[in-house]
Amino acid sequence: MAPLKHVERENPIIDASFRDFCASHGIQTVEDFLLHDLYELAAFAERQRNADRLKEGITFMLSLIELQCRPWLNGMELLEDLHRNKHTLSTGDKGIDSLLQGGFREGQVTELVGPSSSGKTQFCMQAAASVAEKYSARVLYLDTGNSFSARRIAQFICSSSDAALRQKVLSRISCQMVYDVYTMFDMLHGLEVTLRSQAQMNVNEDRLQLLVVDSISSLITPILGGSGSQGRALMVAVGYMLKKLAHEHNIAILVTNHTVGAGEGGRTKPALGETWKSIPHVRLMLTRDHRNNNCTISILKHTSMPAGHTVTTMTREDNTHCL
Amino acid sequence: MGGEDEANSWIRGDETAKQMLSRVLRDRAFLLLPPLNRVPLRAGNVVEITGASPSAKTQILIQAAISCILPKTWNGIHYGGLGKLVLFLDLDCRFDVLRLSEMLKHRLLQANRLGNGAWWQLEASNVKNSRASQDKSNNVYDEELYVSCMKRFMYVRCYDSLQLLSTLKTLHCRIRQQEACGSQVGVLMIDSIGAFHWTDRLSSSLALEKNNRKSLSLTNVVETIVQEVKKILQVHSLVVIATKATIYEEKFPTNETNRKFSSNEDLSGNASSKAQQTPFREFMPSSWQAFVTHKIIIRKSAYHQSLQTGQQSLSAYSLEWLQPQLSSIDRFIVDDSGIVIVT
Repeated sequence: MAPLKHVERENPIIDASFRDFCASHGIQTVEDFLLHDLYELAAFAERQRNADRLKEGITFMLSLIELQCRPWLNGMELLEDLHRNKHTLSTGDKGIDSLLQGGFREGQVTELVGPSSSGKTQFCMQAAASVAEKYSARVLYLDTGNSFSARRIAQFICSSSDAALRQKVLSRISCQMVYDVYTMFDMLHGLEVTLRSQAQMNVNEDRLQLLVVDSISSLITPILGGSGSQGRALMVAVGYMLKKLAHEHNIAILVTNHTVGAGEGGRTKPALGETWKSIPHVRLMLTRDHRNNNCTISILKHTSMPAGHTVTTMTREDNTHCL
Repeated sequence: MGGEDEANSWIRGDETAKQMLSRVLRDRAFLLLPPLNRVPLRAGNVVEITGASPSAKTQILIQAAISCILPKTWNGIHYGGLGKLVLFLDLDCRFDVLRLSEMLKHRLLQANRLGNGAWWQLEASNVKNSRASQDKSNNVYDEELYVSCMKRFMYVRCYDSLQLLSTLKTLHCRIRQQEACGSQVGVLMIDSIGAFHWTDRLSSSLALEKNNRKSLSLTNVVETIVQEVKKILQVHSLVVIATKATIYEEKFPTNETNRKFSSNEDLSGNASSKAQQTPFREFMPSSWQAFVTHKIIIRKSAYHQSLQTGQQSLSAYSLEWLQPQLSSIDRFIVDDSGIVIVT
């Protein structure tokens, strides 16, 4: 929070007498203004000796507040941003691509839910290989359970017979170990700073287009529990950071979540509870039939499609799907 | 501040009957499309739509937004809209403009096809049956109308409470700019109001209140939101529609499991028992609850076997008015075309 004293450097109207007036109303920072009725404040200022100067100061503060807002866009501008910046990225699986009408969308957070050994990590690695190969894009893979395997990713690359090309594709995928939510915050903050400076310098080749977090639930589950709000607040904060990164830098984000037993009837449901449900744009449920190795993916939630559609696919041993 | 003269003349001058009539007629109540058609809404109303995620809340907002941005008539075709602006505050940050665009195109085509705009009076099945033929014969809509409607949809996203408060503080100026250009705002939408509940609650425990300084606590933030929106409602005639996701687990999570394969007859039976208990755990501070004038709750109900998709079942939802309390419950499904009422 910026104390008012710092604002004086920008505009001398925020002088000592203005700050005294504000302090008498309990306002010490720019953010404090947000909680106050500015009309009321202006009415108080009216009664002061230097009313005009105080009101000028309040108007200036309002203009500072306006700078904090995100811009208003109309429907056509939103569509333009969508068509220009938010592309769909193939997941590497034709069935799932057609289910999702093309694949992941940049700017969105896609969540993959499934019980253990249902193929979530395989799906993530296949997606990473597909995006790095087809779009020559950078992929960042945040691994929380040491399950990342470069060898497995190499198998998913279609042109894996060409060693040089395979090398090139693999070099675009970077993997980082993250074991707790605080490291995650650090990572995401760092990433945001890097991306912002890249955007300022207009670096556009080998852009980061896919961020995988496998799994988000193993970072968040340990901080939940109890009735306290702290764990949930951190969860929401991580969620909003992901959404912000995805939207502002046009990245498709893929996170995985495990399932927990719901108690009665042996039914399972996604972990992380009700609050998390409003974070991802798209929720996919992965179930696997171990008898025939078939995976069924169903849409639990989608921003532009009714829920309930499903597709069945096979787990791949290698890159045969490219043929 | 600015409109002082205007305010003075309003206080002094009495209206003529003609002026009054035209003013009252301009702000008269309007009906939204089903499932929000049970209660007429008028300027100043604050509607809250509660439901677990996903329960088609944003879908309902989009449909209401389309009714607002469509003109009443255009080139001799009746569209039945309000022809006003929609301000959409996206706190969930997952609004999908493609959905708006597709549903708007769909509505334009429907209206074109029928010519007289009475399409919602048709049974849902009729609309579906005729869709195949319409796709071939009449697949054009007025591009100019489409663009003008889309431009009446104003959108902003907020990643935290501070951005929300800043946006609300400057909203009055924004609306006035729009009005200066000749367009009126019809609906202010907030999706969804409890989005920052947990982060605000955390900051309430961290903040120190001293020297009569207000902290950014949950109660203060919500109180300020209510205050700002109230101020806007005093000056501008518009309806507020807010969604609210239930962020607590339901205490009785039995309904979904038990109802999954049962038919829809259980709805009438459950209605009376539901009325006695609070249907969800209220978490919004009292200042917000007192501000809301209309309350709606959406529940997920039995799966609906759609004829069109064959083996695929679509989720069905039931919508109930809690304030004013109505006995009727509407059931609807969401398909590619939007919300379809089922019986």
